[in-house]
Amino acid sequence: MLLSFEHVTKFYGAVIGVNDISCRIGPGITGLLGANGAGKSTLMKLASGQLRPTQGHVRIGEHDAWSTAAKHHLGYSPDLNSFYEEMTGREFVYTMARLHGFSRVEARQRTADVIEEVGMTDRAGRRMAGCSHGMRQRIKLAQALVHDPWLLLLDEPLSGIDPGGRREINELLFRLAAQGKTILVSSHILVEIEQLSNSILMMSRGRIIASGTLAEVRNLMQMRPMVVEIVAEPARRLAALLAENPIVQSVEVRDHALTVRTRNPQQFFGEIGELVCQHGIEVRRLQPLDAGAEAVFDYLQKGRS
Amino acid sequence: MKLLRAWTTLTSLTFRRLLWSASTMMVMLPLSGCLLLVLRLYYHRGHHEYSFKEFRDFSEFMILVFASFVVPICALAYGTASLGGDREDRTLVFLLVRPIPRALVLLAKFTATLPLVLGLVVGSFWLYCRLSGEVGQMAFSLYLPALLAMTFAYVCLFHLFAVAFRHSTIIALIYALFMEVLLGNLPGIVKRVAVNYYGRSIMYSAGAPEGLKSPDPEWFQPLEPETAMWALAGIAVAGLLLALIVFSRREYRDLT
Repeated sequence: MLLSFEHVTKFYGAVIGVNDISCRIGPGITGLLGANGAGKSTLMKLASGQLRPTQGHVRIGEHDAWSTAAKHHLGYSPDLNSFYEEMTGREFVYTMARLHGFSRVEARQRTADVIEEVGMTDRAGRRMAGCSHGMRQRIKLAQALVHDPWLLLLDEPLSGIDPGGRREINELLFRLAAQGKTILVSSHILVEIEQLSNSILMMSRGRIIASGTLAEVRNLMQMRPMVVEIVAEPARRLAALLAENPIVQSVEVRDHALTVRTRNPQQFFGEIGELVCQHGIEVRRLQPLDAGAEAVFDYLQKGRS
Repeated sequence: MKLLRAWTTLTSLTFRRLLWSASTMMVMLPLSGCLLLVLRLYYHRGHHEYSFKEFRDFSEFMILVFASFVVPICALAYGTASLGGDREDRTLVFLLVRPIPRALVLLAKFTATLPLVLGLVVGSFWLYCRLSGEVGQMAFSLYLPALLAMTFAYVCLFHLFAVAFRHSTIIALIYALFMEVLLGNLPGIVKRVAVNYYGRSIMYSAGAPEGLKSPDPEWFQPLEPETAMWALAGIAVAGLLLALIVFSRREYRDLT
């Protein structure tokens, strides 16, 4: 079963949330990466049927994501910290199981199983109001799993969880993926996704700017020419040095700003630091002018550092 | 069967959460205030036999204070909180991703709220009447249908507020003070925009055989009780239907 987006566009009034997105997400773990405001949460809300696309279709299997039928197959862990605070973690998950129509006995059994799976058995009797952020994240995950859906949408599920906890949650997600479930995990931290999944969707400004395995995305970016703006002092000296470099296709100088076109961005970013240090050039700003490339590089660079 | 179980779970969850919510504290204030005023009226008059003056005083108190002010406050406190509470706490998202049609989610909220508000209104009205002796017993049988119809209409209307507005309790309070209290007490036909006008019409008509008249007939011309009852039923049905339609189609972007 697939989660599919077909030419999906979502407007919030005059503001565009996601822009003509088409993709199919199948079994296994897929990471959804992007900076804050990139459109990840909008995509998650569209997939969970909280929002309807302005154009296009979002389908869970054969059902429209907005429909009640789709909700049977969906487990959603939202990126918010709100619960019925007067309930214990166990009561909360049990209530969510009951809202799926399970009998008392079945709901109790499923609650116990899923609470054990997320490692909360000994702490599930604590009131939600007294739970730490990490415990609340686990309870959110438990309520998403309690009806055994084939599609899991997890919006920033690892934020606030300690490294040991992350390892446990990751192992749980690997087990679920091995069972054939489709899992979409959003995060703005590359390392989190790198540990979880090799398949990523990268978003920037409402668009998917790259998709595939992490290695494929990196290769794609290495092969892709990029225009970079550099504000430096002395600009002309830096322009002369860059012009000698074979990976630089062209350099334009305007006052203190250089517009550089490079055929190998990764090598370029690797070498420019060394170059400016060697020649005592002061770089005030260094910015890729291609929005998509900027986002990808931002992530790739952060992920490597 | 599964859907029915899910629906009853949501209904009982909403009922429990409303019962132990701040709304209960909020409505206890006007209800207690009314109780004190009823007790004061009762002990002030010294004798407890029926007389027209006592009946008129008690009726006017019930119509002008209880029905026109306390009943909308009770309906507002629970009617807006049943869905608005989930919306403001942002727990609504956990309900919207469950396999329960949205219309049934709202119906569950409504089904949980209505008996709570009816119970409070009828229970407190019964208590006030009981404490007022013979006068109260007569008033109870005369005015109960109007209070039930008003409560039903208000609960439906305030569910529409909860569906339509993010800070529905505040909007509903403004509505209650402006439309119900201010416009509802203006001379002329402008008062027909207020729900309590129809309730008061039924109550004055019910008290008429006992000699009850509106304080100033020039200022308040009651509608025929049947017409007023139909108007209240119409407000209730239209409010609830509209709320169901809006809730079924609406995106709640403020939840995350």
